[in-house]
Amino acid sequence: MFDLLGEIVQTLRNNRLRTILTGVSVSWGIFMLIVLLGASRGVRNAFESNWDKSETNTIQFWSGVTSMPYNGYKDGRYIELKSSDIDAVKQDNEELVSDAIAFASLDSAKITTSKDVVSGGFEAVYPKAQATNNIEMKYGRYVNDADIRDARRTMVISSKNARLLFESDSVAVGRTVSCMGLAWTIVGVYDHRWRSQSYVPYTAYKAVTGNTDKAYSLIVNVEGLETEADGDAAEKALRATLGRQHQFHADDRNALWSWNGFNSYLTNSAAMGYLNMAVWVIGIFTLLTGIVGVSNIMFVSVRERTHEIGIRRAIGAKPRSILGQVLCESVALTAFFGYIGIVAGTLSLQALNAVLGDMDGFKNATVDISIAIEVTVALIVAGAMAGFFPALKAIKVKPVEALRDE
Amino acid sequence: MIISLHDVNKTYPGIVPLHVLKDINLEIERGELVSIMGASGSGKSTLLNILGILDSYDSGDYVLDGLEIKNLSENRAAEIRNRKIGFVFQSFNLINYKNALENVALPLFYQGVGRRKRNALAMEQLERMGLADRAHHLPGELSGGQKQRVAIARALVTKPAIILADEPTGALDSHTSKEVMEVFRQLNADGMTVVIVTHDPGVGAATNRVIRIVDGVIDNGDV
Repeated sequence: MFDLLGEIVQTLRNNRLRTILTGVSVSWGIFMLIVLLGASRGVRNAFESNWDKSETNTIQFWSGVTSMPYNGYKDGRYIELKSSDIDAVKQDNEELVSDAIAFASLDSAKITTSKDVVSGGFEAVYPKAQATNNIEMKYGRYVNDADIRDARRTMVISSKNARLLFESDSVAVGRTVSCMGLAWTIVGVYDHRWRSQSYVPYTAYKAVTGNTDKAYSLIVNVEGLETEADGDAAEKALRATLGRQHQFHADDRNALWSWNGFNSYLTNSAAMGYLNMAVWVIGIFTLLTGIVGVSNIMFVSVRERTHEIGIRRAIGAKPRSILGQVLCESVALTAFFGYIGIVAGTLSLQALNAVLGDMDGFKNATVDISIAIEVTVALIVAGAMAGFFPALKAIKVKPVEALRDE
Repeated sequence: MIISLHDVNKTYPGIVPLHVLKDINLEIERGELVSIMGASGSGKSTLLNILGILDSYDSGDYVLDGLEIKNLSENRAAEIRNRKIGFVFQSFNLINYKNALENVALPLFYQGVGRRKRNALAMEQLERMGLADRAHHLPGELSGGQKQRVAIARALVTKPAIILADEPTGALDSHTSKEVMEVFRQLNADGMTVVIVTHDPGVGAATNRVIRIVDGVIDNGDV
């Protein structure tokens, strides 16, 4: 084994320039493959971390306007969701719905302190909205059951708003803010990548706005979905229930706006799969040009060494040792320069991460050990393929070639 | 009997088939120093190829050191060449990027002999050829006579049954030729069977028996 390696190193060293030129094309191919795979991994990571897991099994509805006449009603009717829809949805679809919440919002409200004012209003929520919206508390707590039961005027704000309204977000809990002419107690401060709404208990909102049952939006948690068809069917069933509640046609898409978290997730996942596949295809083809180069060089090398191979055959080399040598040379050449490509690619990804690390849509672009193994296998297979036909040519060299004068 | 050819025929196919060897009968005893002489086109190269198991023949029998050489696989032929025959070529046929020692050791590499033992055996043969101090020189740094002696060392390293030399002095000047022939005579004196194919009468004269081949037939006339 060592001897074979020695033989290979010797022959490759004997043609140093040619070896290096060929090797560079392989390194480049592998480099591109690694960088592309790493970058696509970065996009994928960003996608997956932006996609809150809790949203993948929710279907959300917003109020809309009917576009079809139904049951004696004209079209163009405004459909307003109610918090009582929750119970109807749960009862009608017991198997499908694991939970449902409603929330209202008041965009026009301003929240003020003696220091500053923030606009954008608030959302009136139930405690479950914390999980649904993936809210992580930084200080204090979220809206809780006692808040709902007693219709307490409590408020949860984002750390960004907390810093505007108070000296710092760490002192906000326990302080009061003014909103709609009333005092609200801050009970919690949360941190979220892009959410910055303020949250108040739904019952408190109801009390303040005159006991309205209006809901801004309905979020239904569904379970047991596997395919896109399941997702469509679930949405359809929910629409049918809501249609009965609000007298609109089950097929009237305009009556309620909806967002199907499950199907969106499926679509995006599929897109990520295509991206990954495209990257492999591009990378493999880039690598292929390098491989064709290696194959070409091995052909030239076999041709140039016809006489030498003849000598080796004459003094007792078996065809399979010639075959083995050419194949191993090809694999060694590919593997060595491929390894350089892997290292260079990995370093480039590190650099890319350092520069773009905090960017949205690009997160932790690295190649893990499984990719490294896959690429290594691809390399060895590629090297063997590159050497295969030249090796076949090499074993056709007859030992009589040794007698031919150059 | 180390080499025994019986009614060996060889024809190269073609539009006009070329009958190169016609019913060749040839016997060489162990320990002989023989030359096979003939003009170019006489069939002596073909005979050499067959003797060296580099080429096949159409009919007849060839027995080398007790082994019947017929319908061999490439692998078996390579093995017999490796173990039984030491080749010496006109143009030395050393591998130019390997030093003298590595060149001499190469046949042992194909026998699967370990590096240390290989190099020791190769060194032994180089010493025998008086080239121990040139062991780490590349062929390009050696004179013609030295190269041929490296090649002879390579032929000897596997302790073959027979040395088969193809015009071993063809690329050498007359003085060096004499030296190389002296090496062959010395090997023969040590008991090695040596067969030299040549068209040079001077070389033929330096051997103990001359086999002439004319137009594919062994000339048994006036030796």
